[in-house]
Amino acid sequence: MDLEYKKSIAWIRENLFSSIPSSILTVATSFFVLGFFRGLFGFAMASDKDWLSVLNNMQLYMVQAYPEEDFIRVWISVGLALVFAGMSIGLWKSTEESSLSDVFSKFLKVSLAFLFFTVVAPTFSSVTDNDGIIQTEESFPMETRLQLLIPSAIFVVVFFVLKNVKLNYKFNKSDLLCFYLAIPIVLLWIIKLPTIQLDSSNQRIIPDPLMPIADTTKIPWTIIFGLFLAFYFIGSRFKDSKNMKRTMSISWVLLPLFIFSWIFKKPEIDLPTILGQDIPIFIGIFLIGALTITFINNPIVEKYFSIYLGVLIAITGIALFISIPILLKSALLLLVLFTIVIPAVSSSAKGKRNLIIVWGVSLFTLSVLIRGGSSDTQIIVQQQSIFGGFSLTWLLAIFGTYVSFPLGVLLALGRNSKLPIVRLVCTGIIELTRSVPYITWLFFASVTMAVFLPEGVNFELVVRVLMVTAFFSGAYFAENIRGGLQSIPKGQYEAADAIGMSPFQKTSLIVMPQALRAIIPTLVSSAITAFKDSSLVTIIGLIDFLTIGKVIIGTQSIPVNFVGHDRENLLFIAFFYWIFTFTLSRRSMKVEKRLGLGER
Amino acid sequence: MSIIKTNDVKKWFGDFQALKGISMEVQEGEVLVICGPSGSGKSTFIRCINRLEQHQEGEIIVDGIELTNDLKNIEAIRSEVGMVFQSFNLFPHLTVMQNITLAPIWVRKKSRSESEEKAMELLTRVGIPEQASKFPGQLSGGQQQRVAIARALAMEPKIMLFDEPTSALDPEMIKEVLDAMKELALSGMTMIVVTHEMGFAKEVADRVMLFDEGLMVEENTPTEFFDNPQNDRTKLFLSQIL
Repeated sequence: MDLEYKKSIAWIRENLFSSIPSSILTVATSFFVLGFFRGLFGFAMASDKDWLSVLNNMQLYMVQAYPEEDFIRVWISVGLALVFAGMSIGLWKSTEESSLSDVFSKFLKVSLAFLFFTVVAPTFSSVTDNDGIIQTEESFPMETRLQLLIPSAIFVVVFFVLKNVKLNYKFNKSDLLCFYLAIPIVLLWIIKLPTIQLDSSNQRIIPDPLMPIADTTKIPWTIIFGLFLAFYFIGSRFKDSKNMKRTMSISWVLLPLFIFSWIFKKPEIDLPTILGQDIPIFIGIFLIGALTITFINNPIVEKYFSIYLGVLIAITGIALFISIPILLKSALLLLVLFTIVIPAVSSSAKGKRNLIIVWGVSLFTLSVLIRGGSSDTQIIVQQQSIFGGFSLTWLLAIFGTYVSFPLGVLLALGRNSKLPIVRLVCTGIIELTRSVPYITWLFFASVTMAVFLPEGVNFELVVRVLMVTAFFSGAYFAENIRGGLQSIPKGQYEAADAIGMSPFQKTSLIVMPQALRAIIPTLVSSAITAFKDSSLVTIIGLIDFLTIGKVIIGTQSIPVNFVGHDRENLLFIAFFYWIFTFTLSRRSMKVEKRLGLGER
Repeated sequence: MSIIKTNDVKKWFGDFQALKGISMEVQEGEVLVICGPSGSGKSTFIRCINRLEQHQEGEIIVDGIELTNDLKNIEAIRSEVGMVFQSFNLFPHLTVMQNITLAPIWVRKKSRSESEEKAMELLTRVGIPEQASKFPGQLSGGQQQRVAIARALAMEPKIMLFDEPTSALDPEMIKEVLDAMKELALSGMTMIVVTHEMGFAKEVADRVMLFDEGLMVEENTPTEFFDNPQNDRTKLFLSQIL
């Protein structure tokens, strides 16, 4: 311990006070940081800030006007995502272990942060009273500070001692993660929060009494966490199964589509359409694909395959622009994509059988999703779409990335293509999309797009916004990916050619994996940008997470008057966004590290 | 029977004529060494044989198939012709094992287990079976080049092309690669080797050619080529290199 102390002194001297300018810089920065946090704490603790305006409106923040009797759908969505997460954490269970002192050093950090708060928080903060006059008041009395200071100091000392006691217990990192997640769940049952109470004349009672958290919040979370744990254990049982991992990855891709088209949406299903339209389309298209797979090695089929593919592409191209069921359009598109891949994949009888199964499952999934997505919703929300608040932000962010990323890959490949027309079209799409501001595209979606759609075709506003978002961020993804493609040395293409790979195999097995790996940081920052830019939809009348805090709560007067309390809401929103983006960038750093292994 | 036959092959890069009419034949099982100063067109020529470069005039017939723009023919020839590059060109994102099994699985459509068995056999043959699960970046240059040889052999080619396989290697690693190539030559593989390793040419080659300025200036057995060169250009080249 003595040695450690000397080491840290040496470190400080070497890195913070090595020369006079460096010492000045260190001191100045410390003052700046301290001042920033004092200001922040003072702002948060001033008595004119009503944090209940955030707490009381959580439901509004999350789902906006989604009807309460259908909340079970929201919980199922959240539950599915967490169950999947539990399963995945189990399947890809970490082999790394943390010692007990690592755990205590985490707790030490938390208690240090708390100690920092109690020491730094200002005693006095400025408050604007009802007449708009700024006054100073004591918001953090000394005795409160002392009451908090003593326990937090004790925690710091205890955890510091525990951290340095060499105990030889080791925990699996994934197990630990589950333990950390259990802490907030337990807290849900223990802590009491101020809750707004109204008296008989509908006036707010102040001070608001402390109440336990509502059952409607803590019971679902507890059940979901229980399922999370259960699936974590199931997942870790199957952690050696490659098939399970593959299935899980595909399920992750399908999950948001399924949640948004079926669970969240509650589609209005009418049986005659399914029987008379969906099932025949499914069977017909499935048979075409299956027959192609079966007879692909027949010499006659092989000879005329490129003609067949050309005709298929032409038919699909025409089908996209005439008014036929959207399921038929998408099924044809999938058929074309599949037919392109068939010659590269199937040759043995087993390979063919597997491919037919894959084809059937993907077509079925597509049919189910399209049926859910294109049916009307039974959920009625006044004036607005069923997506509002965080559910809208999340929808835009996820689909902004999900749809635009593959689109970006295709556009990037197209722009690098040898075929002049493909190259021209892709370059045109990219340059056109990028040269117009996103807000302009949003107005295009809300006002102009209907003119460009064929007669009778009409999409919801949210869907139109998703379409322009997909193209907009797709164009940016495409340029990033193109950068990645250019970083692949020519020798890689030659080596792939020399072993006889087809262009498709060369792209998907050699070039793309390397290109994407090279640009993970840029891809993540694009995804973060897409997540944050989703708040711009407010200008065309959609109510996203930010709008709820700034506009809706800021002008809310019924049942409780929160007018003017938008500043604390903005701070909360900033914090909320930060949690997500920060987690994302930390995750991506880990992925980068793991994938970088091959490069070394 | 000749397995490769070229007739008056010409190739331009823009205005620069890299090949000025090369006519030659290679017999099955023959080891042919091509040498010559840099810029003489020797690499360009062997890269034309598997169509990494496109010749503009003349004809190249490999294993009875003429190289034209027909994609089918090109893919057929490429799967019969293995190639080893100066800069290895291993796939850095795949392990050694995956590098070798990639083509058999995806191009030849063999099963994974069969390909992996074959890959282990090849790795043993080039002397590095213990490196199978490593990534190329973790191997030395000589080991990487031997993996590249194994990768080319995994396709069971009839012909192997070597494009200066030892030029990018440290001197102490050259021998291990040449040993692997000698072993391959003794097993009866048809090989065309572009190299400056004259020792290898003397010991293993059936024929040696000298290229200069896009033309083949001399062609002979190794003994004749080194001991009794006919052309003045060959004499100059040999005096500089030996």
